[in-house]
Amino acid sequence: MNEKIKAARDIITNYSGRPLRIMEVCGTHTHEIFKIGLRKLLPENVELISGPGCPVCVTPVGFIDEACWLALEKGCVITTFGDLIRVPGTEMSLAGARAKGAQVRPVYSPMDAVEMARQNPDEQIVFLAVGFETTTPSACLAAETAKKEGLENFSLLTANKTMPNAYAALEGSADAFLYPGHVNAITGTGICEELKAKGVSGVVAGFTASELLTAMAVILKNAESGEPFFVNCYPRVVKAEGNPAAQKLVAKVMEPCDSEWRGLGVIPMSGMKLKDEYAEYDARKKYAMPKITGKPNPACRCGDVLQGKCKPSDCKVFGRGCTPEHPVGACMVSDEGACSAYYQYGME
Amino acid sequence: MCVGLSAKVVSVKDGTALIDAQGAKREVSADLLEELEPGDYVMVHAGVAIAKITQSDEDETVDIMENLI
Amino acid sequence: MAENTVTLAHGAGGKQTSELISKVFKAHFSNPEFTADDAAVLNIPQDRIAFTTDGFIVSPFEFNGGNIGKLSICGTVNDLSCMGAKPMYMTCAFVIEEGFPMDKLEEIAAAMEKTAKEAGVKIVAGDTKVAGKGQVDKVFITTTGIGCIMDNAHTSGTYAKPGDAVIVTGDVGRHGCTILLARDEYGIDADVDSDCAPLWGTVESLYTVTDDIHVIRDATRGGVGTVLYEIAEQSKVGIRLNAADIPVDPAVKGVCGMLGLEPLYLACEGRLVIFAPQDKAQAIVDKLHEGKYSKNAAIIGTVTEDNVGRVVMETEIGAQTLLPQPGGELLPRIC
Repeated sequence: MNEKIKAARDIITNYSGRPLRIMEVCGTHTHEIFKIGLRKLLPENVELISGPGCPVCVTPVGFIDEACWLALEKGCVITTFGDLIRVPGTEMSLAGARAKGAQVRPVYSPMDAVEMARQNPDEQIVFLAVGFETTTPSACLAAETAKKEGLENFSLLTANKTMPNAYAALEGSADAFLYPGHVNAITGTGICEELKAKGVSGVVAGFTASELLTAMAVILKNAESGEPFFVNCYPRVVKAEGNPAAQKLVAKVMEPCDSEWRGLGVIPMSGMKLKDEYAEYDARKKYAMPKITGKPNPACRCGDVLQGKCKPSDCKVFGRGCTPEHPVGACMVSDEGACSAYYQYGME
Repeated sequence: MCVGLSAKVVSVKDGTALIDAQGAKREVSADLLEELEPGDYVMVHAGVAIAKITQSDEDETVDIMENLI
Repeated sequence: MAENTVTLAHGAGGKQTSELISKVFKAHFSNPEFTADDAAVLNIPQDRIAFTTDGFIVSPFEFNGGNIGKLSICGTVNDLSCMGAKPMYMTCAFVIEEGFPMDKLEEIAAAMEKTAKEAGVKIVAGDTKVAGKGQVDKVFITTTGIGCIMDNAHTSGTYAKPGDAVIVTGDVGRHGCTILLARDEYGIDADVDSDCAPLWGTVESLYTVTDDIHVIRDATRGGVGTVLYEIAEQSKVGIRLNAADIPVDPAVKGVCGMLGLEPLYLACEGRLVIFAPQDKAQAIVDKLHEGKYSKNAAIIGTVTEDNVGRVVMETEIGAQTLLPQPGGELLPRIC
């Protein structure tokens, strides 16, 4: 352990200020924080809450039902980030659909799904576009590429989400935010400055052990004064202006829409959908999809977990009916989900 | 929500960059970054280079801690 | 074309079956005990024998550093070796998909011959079935083996004791990473080859250092992480690992970083996890460093009395956290 890591550790373990609730918004942060054991270093008066930043976790049940419909009723090949495959829908997950003969393929990038469409002109390829500001540009790039090349067998099923209105919905749930570094790499830090002006504190954090440790130290050091603060602890990646080319592309291809978040309900203008010019790449329009409303399992408290209203272990099915092998809710599926992390890392 | 990978750019051609992360190589889209050159370091997410990055996390951590103490 | 591929006639039990057996299998597996009768007749020189069987399906069937033939010998040889048993005899049963190229079958048999020779084991009986196109994925192999347990070897998954050192004989996750890359589903390219290797020699070398070895287990499809949880459970102990000491090839680390995977849960086919008293550990590792398949051997942790059934990781920021439990299907985590 080098000196700086030790210094950061000392700041954290010796913190004796007012009680603090810190929310890590990003699922990758949740995952890494558990992996490096950062929670174990926190003093008793500092609580770390996992926020709604795992795209798999906030994706509503109905989205899985829509994907299963495309796969089973329309015979589409579903391409997706791997984590979504085991998320339960109303009747089945995509893994369940696969067992019924649906074609479901994990991909690394939406651009790989485009390539699959090029190589297989007789197959209808649908990419499940989930994710936040970090991931949305890659989906837009896929739609833009498909349009440019006139690919007729590629489309997106969108459930992309944006953070700003989610922060508003989360108001009061934490004293400081650990902002999602890779979202800010795209959007820049303007939103963080605005939140600071409204009295909301936070730091932009990176993802390695030393980055997370220092970000936590910066929060605790700044919290002592009681004044709202914002620090960019990830300037090697996050610039104030973000990534203008990505912002421009997203503005060209997609537009804001109301969006349903698992457990949080519909948050106005918190989602992104393809613009009308890209209608032929919108799977809902292309396949004239009927309105599909999912029915989540009523015993599951993923919604409360995502808002920091309860700990995963407060949920009745946690660790009993709901485990990573047999998940009831999405938060138990993804490695980034709070329930999965609590379960895997043996938190009570 | 966003697993990122820092990697070195090996070559760039027609909006595509070949990147190298400790010996793991892959082609990723370079469309969202201007003037990417071999030798640059980038942050990659879902097959797209989303940011040009400058120094190692260790160096940056040292800077931040020095400011803090 | 018909001559160059395996046909249903090759599995019908008639003349063509005999031809296939003599042309491909007998040519490679020939030894005095290889039987033409219904069963091989063997002389077993001592009373304690180890006996095991394993089925092999791998897609693709050939990969960097080996093929399914080599794998099918290594798997059974290593299972025997982990019991301190010198592998003696093996049988193998093939299920081959109609249309499988004959030259590939030859390559598989040749790899089996070479690996068996290295491990000092004789293939004494076999079986061949041909399944219709699409009924199996190219070729499946099942091998069964018998080994003689050395008098001085007493190992079991239940013998790990608090204070034992945990040793791994090389960098973890190479086979799983190789297969992942060979499937080419994620467009990633890396210079990684499988660790697939027959490990009798490695086990034998351990006993030149000490007889006091508590557990030897080979990590297979569940990776080293799964083995650690198995042993913690079987021996009713805890295991503490030091994250920084776990050997991982940089390219494997890079691939795992891209896909959000944990190297400890990627498959190995040539790595042992050894539990032995702390005071013998360094001598064991020094000996392992001389071996062909254990140059990167390392002590990665210790056995504890507390945290029974759990694997605890000492992390790079000096905190302790659980190694997540082994999961199901490996799916990349990207967003």
